[in-house]
Amino acid sequence: MTREPYIRRQRTEHGRRAVAVLPVHYPKELLTALDLLAVEVWGPPGAPRGDAAGRIQTYVCAVVRNALAFLASGGADCVDAVLFPHTCDSIQQLATLAPDFGGWGKPALTFLHPKGPGRPGVRRFLSEELRGLAAKLEAVAGRPLEPERLAAAIRLHREIDLHRAALLDGRAALPLDDPGLYALLRRGEWLWPEDHLAELRAARARLGTGGPPGRVPILVTGYVPEPIATLETLNGAGAFVAADDYAAIGRRVVRGGDGPIADPWEALLDRDAAAPPCPTRATDQAARMRHLEALAARSGARGVVVHVVKFCEPELFDVPAIRRTFAARGLPILVLEGELERQLSGQTVTRIEAFAELLGAAGGAA
Amino acid sequence: MILRRARYELAARAGGPFLAALDDWRRRHRRRSARESPFAPPLESLRALKALMTTHYLSGRYADGAVPVAWVTSGFPVEPLRTLGFHTVYPENHGAMCGVQRIVPALSDAIEAEGYSRDLCSYVRADLGSLVTGRSPAGRLPRPDLLACCTNICQTVLYWYRDLARRFGVPLVLVDTPFVYGEATPHQLRYVEDQLEEAIAVAERVARRRLDRAALRETARLARDGSRLWGECLATAKARPAPWTGVDGFFHLAPIVALRGTEACNAYYRLLLDELRDRVARGVGGLRGEERHRLVWDNLPIWYATREIATLLASRGFNFVCTTYTNAWAEAAARIDPDDPVRSSADCYTHVLLNRDLPSKLALVAGLAREYGADGAVLHSDRSCKPYSIGQVDLKARLAGDLGIRTLLLEADHGDPRAWASELAANRLGAFMESFG
Ligand code: SF4
Ligand code: SF4
Repeated sequence: MTREPYIRRQRTEHGRRAVAVLPVHYPKELLTALDLLAVEVWGPPGAPRGDAAGRIQTYVCAVVRNALAFLASGGADCVDAVLFPHTCDSIQQLATLAPDFGGWGKPALTFLHPKGPGRPGVRRFLSEELRGLAAKLEAVAGRPLEPERLAAAIRLHREIDLHRAALLDGRAALPLDDPGLYALLRRGEWLWPEDHLAELRAARARLGTGGPPGRVPILVTGYVPEPIATLETLNGAGAFVAADDYAAIGRRVVRGGDGPIADPWEALLDRDAAAPPCPTRATDQAARMRHLEALAARSGARGVVVHVVKFCEPELFDVPAIRRTFAARGLPILVLEGELERQLSGQTVTRIEAFAELLGAAGGAA
Repeated sequence: MILRRARYELAARAGGPFLAALDDWRRRHRRRSARESPFAPPLESLRALKALMTTHYLSGRYADGAVPVAWVTSGFPVEPLRTLGFHTVYPENHGAMCGVQRIVPALSDAIEAEGYSRDLCSYVRADLGSLVTGRSPAGRLPRPDLLACCTNICQTVLYWYRDLARRFGVPLVLVDTPFVYGEATPHQLRYVEDQLEEAIAVAERVARRRLDRAALRETARLARDGSRLWGECLATAKARPAPWTGVDGFFHLAPIVALRGTEACNAYYRLLLDELRDRVARGVGGLRGEERHRLVWDNLPIWYATREIATLLASRGFNFVCTTYTNAWAEAAARIDPDDPVRSSADCYTHVLLNRDLPSKLALVAGLAREYGADGAVLHSDRSCKPYSIGQVDLKARLAGDLGIRTLLLEADHGDPRAWASELAANRLGAFMESFG
């Protein structure tokens, strides 16, 4: 089932309202606890369409341009509110442009997550922002947030992360191609968490029963796996994603933290603090490089694909550091910049194929 | 009286006045262009400005090792650093100088070779490129002991300063200002205040002295007064004709950015204000000919082409009488309370133009247009500055619809001339001017 009928069915069958959410980080547990369906808007891919397509300059990333066009053309009319996390300058501006100047008439919420986690003062601020957001979400949901339900939602999302981590970490023993794996993981962007969990469990049961189509393991770091043809091409050329650091995927999988929940608000803060490094949260760059090195080492990656969205400053600023880090380890790097196109250009296909070939030749396995 | 005060201020300095005088001498002996300038003769205060800024940059060359040095973003609450005796360097200011001198492409090439994207803000590329190549219009910038970054202008500065911290291996203090939709909430302001106190503690360690809170109040008073004086200078352009042009404002802005909170800055603006008021009293305008149309400029200047644009417009009687960019440094005056400098700083620096929602920006531009009697606006759509530029398409439509003023969206990059097509821009500006009839 595709998104829109699913959202409608959630409403009719379960009485669930829906909230569209812009990338990247937000406390999904709050929405789940309030019985709100989160539906993430990563673009959507393709050229922006409709009357609002020209309202944001072409030198702004496609995620934001497309999102405005999508919202303004009624693409998200089946949801009850939209949530804009404080991801970057561009989303921050979109969060005022769409509701204030036209394009979004329903409630618009913001989540100002602090930059540079781990500093003194950050935890208190985040705690207050979370509570402020919860109050606004309560209004959208039409029900109060109960602490037990929040604790249950945290447990549910911990379990989801456990399965996602298992699938990503055990990737080499999973008989799925990359487009298949990513389609599964990305359904978590709009499925009700329990439905997503059921799919994850089923996939996890297949671990150890086969492997991916390619034989050359690579690390992918970047924003969002769009277009999916990027992964098809990689697989077709004999490579597969053995380690993931996409903002949309791996950077949102929180590992650990399975203790008892005495205070759900504290548990929520702990989950935030334990999240992997991400430039959109302005986590320490050196810590991010260590994290990427560990991912590469653990997965035996023979090369690194950096897959970013054009004009995305948070991601682009880390590219030189990624180059330095892996040049020092002798791992080849391929940098791909895209604009959420539906298709890959012939030139990009050739570059991916050449890269996979190079890695295969170097490792003698492809 | 103006010259006397100028001499007084200039006499207090050594290197700056000498170099400014030299520049003056050169200027007088330079052959004049055959074409007559459409602008009134330059303001006398320009010499004092040159002396002041030259002194600042000259002293900066010898600052490291002598006094603690901080590299600071333009929106950072600088008053505690000033009070602790830091010599402050504004890489954005330096980036603007690189832009004026058209050396950004060369600096950018150097940094692009290290893997940095050409799509990053050109101030960043200029600054990092300058570090890599050693090229600088300022000769050399002193090495920082501290980096001070505030995200109230953009998130870009955070990534930029983190990069600087890695290169220099010095502490980075961050003031993360939550973006303001409407008004900031008390807990958001407390967060900023907490970070300011943290920044002060780090700065104290670097400067190896305690912050004198009474002295901080005095610095805050100077900053507030400087901001107020700058606002008064800008407001003189409400007169018809405006005594100067918006382009003049871009250059006279330097002290309030780089020397905010010092008596030297305020003395300079008193001098400038006297001269501008004198011009208003005598009916002297910034343009040589008749001021037929009055324009608002939005966004950063196109540093390498400001003169080109202003000259083209001025030759047909169009003057930029106000700019959102220069006005941003006048806004602080209303919120700084010298008796409560840290808390009021948190409030003031959180509510700057670039950290506020679009209705606030629209209200500001519309207000400026009304107060200054503008009948047109040029919105610089700046490839390098997304936070300033997103929303301009709607802003343009609203200014035209709500206020009935003519508007032009002009795409460029504030620092990198590779994004500038001179002929195309001239055509667009020409068509814009013709639309006024
Ligand atoms: S792609 Fe980058 S710039 Fe665009 S919305 Fe995402 S984080 Fe912001
Ligand atoms: S020009 Fe814009 S993006 Fe660049 S530092 Fe200034 S505010 Fe930030």
